Amino acid sequence: MANIQQPAETTEIIEPGDAAQTDSRHNWLKGRINQWRESGLISDEQSEAIIKFEELPEAPFRLGTRFNRLVVVLSTLGAILIGAGIISFVAANWQGLPAIAKLVLLIGGQTATYWAAYQLQFVRGFPKVGGAVMFTGAAWFGANVFLVAQSYHLSTNNPDLMIWWFLGILPLAYLARSKAITVMAVGIFTIGISWKTAGIGENTESAFMVMGSLLLIATALYATGMLHLRRDNLKFHAGPYLVTGALLAIGVVYVLTFDEFFRDSRQGSVREIAALSGSYIAIGVIISGITIAAVVAAARNTVTSGATTFVSKYAESGAIALVIGFGWFAAALPFNSPTPYVIVFNLLLIFLIFSTIILGIVNKREALVNVGIIFFVIDLSTRYIELTVDMLDTSLAFIVGGILLLGVGYGMERARRKLLQQFGMTEAVNHDS
Amino acid sequence: MTLKAKRLFIAVIVVQIVFLLGIVGYREAILINGQTAVLQTVPVDPRDLFKGEHVILRYEISTLGDAAINPVGKRYRLIGDIDEGDTVYVRVPTSENFDQGWLVAQTVKPPSDADLFIKGRVTSSKDNIITVEYGIGQYFVPEGRGLEIEQADDVKVRVRINRSGVAAIEELIVDDEVWQP
Repeated sequence: MANIQQPAETTEIIEPGDAAQTDSRHNWLKGRINQWRESGLISDEQSEAIIKFEELPEAPFRLGTRFNRLVVVLSTLGAILIGAGIISFVAANWQGLPAIAKLVLLIGGQTATYWAAYQLQFVRGFPKVGGAVMFTGAAWFGANVFLVAQSYHLSTNNPDLMIWWFLGILPLAYLARSKAITVMAVGIFTIGISWKTAGIGENTESAFMVMGSLLLIATALYATGMLHLRRDNLKFHAGPYLVTGALLAIGVVYVLTFDEFFRDSRQGSVREIAALSGSYIAIGVIISGITIAAVVAAARNTVTSGATTFVSKYAESGAIALVIGFGWFAAALPFNSPTPYVIVFNLLLIFLIFSTIILGIVNKREALVNVGIIFFVIDLSTRYIELTVDMLDTSLAFIVGGILLLGVGYGMERARRKLLQQFGMTEAVNHDS
Repeated sequence: MTLKAKRLFIAVIVVQIVFLLGIVGYREAILINGQTAVLQTVPVDPRDLFKGEHVILRYEISTLGDAAINPVGKRYRLIGDIDEGDTVYVRVPTSENFDQGWLVAQTVKPPSDADLFIKGRVTSSKDNIITVEYGIGQYFVPEGRGLEIEQADDVKVRVRINRSGVAAIEELIVDDEVWQP
């Protein structure tokens, strides 16, 4: 392993998301070449020669992109199947295997997977296949955490195991520069921490503390994504944090828009902030403080110009501060009646949906636009059902609702494509389907 | 990958392996060096059988307090304020101390020379009755063998407890015989 080569593939691969960027760079270059020609710096022949030299190899590029995707899909499926097969073999024969054999199979298998991934990704020059094997190694570590816990009859209904799994694979995501492992790590963290937070208490009052805490966690995740964007070498990993933070925040606020939730859970009791447990308040203050500090640091270092300055620099930070405030509001429950909560959280949901769409457009993040649009449709459908359930006949409500949804879907799809085109992103349209 | 990144990569993998071996070593140390206790379980709820892969074990000392309904649980005196989420140290009932009056459950860690205590986490606390989770509530069995335990008349669990009060399941005693997986 002494001689580490840079994989040959890396220089040739143009990710689909980069396609628009490459096109726009090419257009810019054409414009400049024309200016040089007009100003007499270069001749017509030289101009044509440069343009021809810089021409994008259209057909091979597209074929390459599709082929790369196929390689990733096949490699990931293959690696997962092999890993799942070995792990299920160990799990099925758990009691029959001697302790040392179990350890060798589990830890040896995991190490061998990492070794193969390293060889393929960094030595042999197969980054796509190597990345897929690395992903399997990260998944294998998680399976090992649960299998070792199981072998000592430790409770596997334990969110701490997921947090350990997350901590174990997070550095790998950065070292192997793997977005797939970043998605896995952030997803595991979100499930684990939400699960752990849900364990705050099983009584009805603590449900609001859980909701408030989840809002704080969502802002912390989003702020982590914002911080990643400020460093060129970390930008690549920002997406999963931003999208998961937005999803969690909007999802939690959506749950809080139902008056039944407040009516059922509060059971008429008035809850004062003083009644919250001191340790939970301390943890909440620390998370809120770190998040605000991260957002301020991220906003201060933002280098923007023109119309996007305000949105990029302040609107994102403002939205996060607002969600933090409502996180505390949800946990403290200062009002006695459900009505103020329902009004406030419905308004917050609309604000967050449109903020996510706008931020997605301004910052050219398609995933955020999609999150906003999906929740817009979900919210619209929910409110429609709430409004019509008592007003219209059930069958009529379904028909009208169906027509409305189709219309909204058509309009949203058109709007979405227009938005993507506006910020220079294109997507493949399959006319066969 | 730079040399530094390569070293970090190896370090991460080593940390992962050390973590897994750490769990193994810690639990083996409890099983080898811990003090033995036999805990009675209350009948296993069939709904808790999860596809025959493991059984849920509820102990007599899972519910404690003056008014608790199980015979061992109601003999416990809760010392101090015990709230949900607290760590609690519960004196282990043995044949020697069973008739010696009250047993105690407390949030203060007992001295190392005290009687055998088991450490748990309070999952609910209401009206001076607490429910405690000791981390030994699941027992994994080979596929399809869970029913044997579920249908047994008497199920006991032999545990090992270390000096910190952490318990590990050593074996099950089903109808007075050690259960072979």
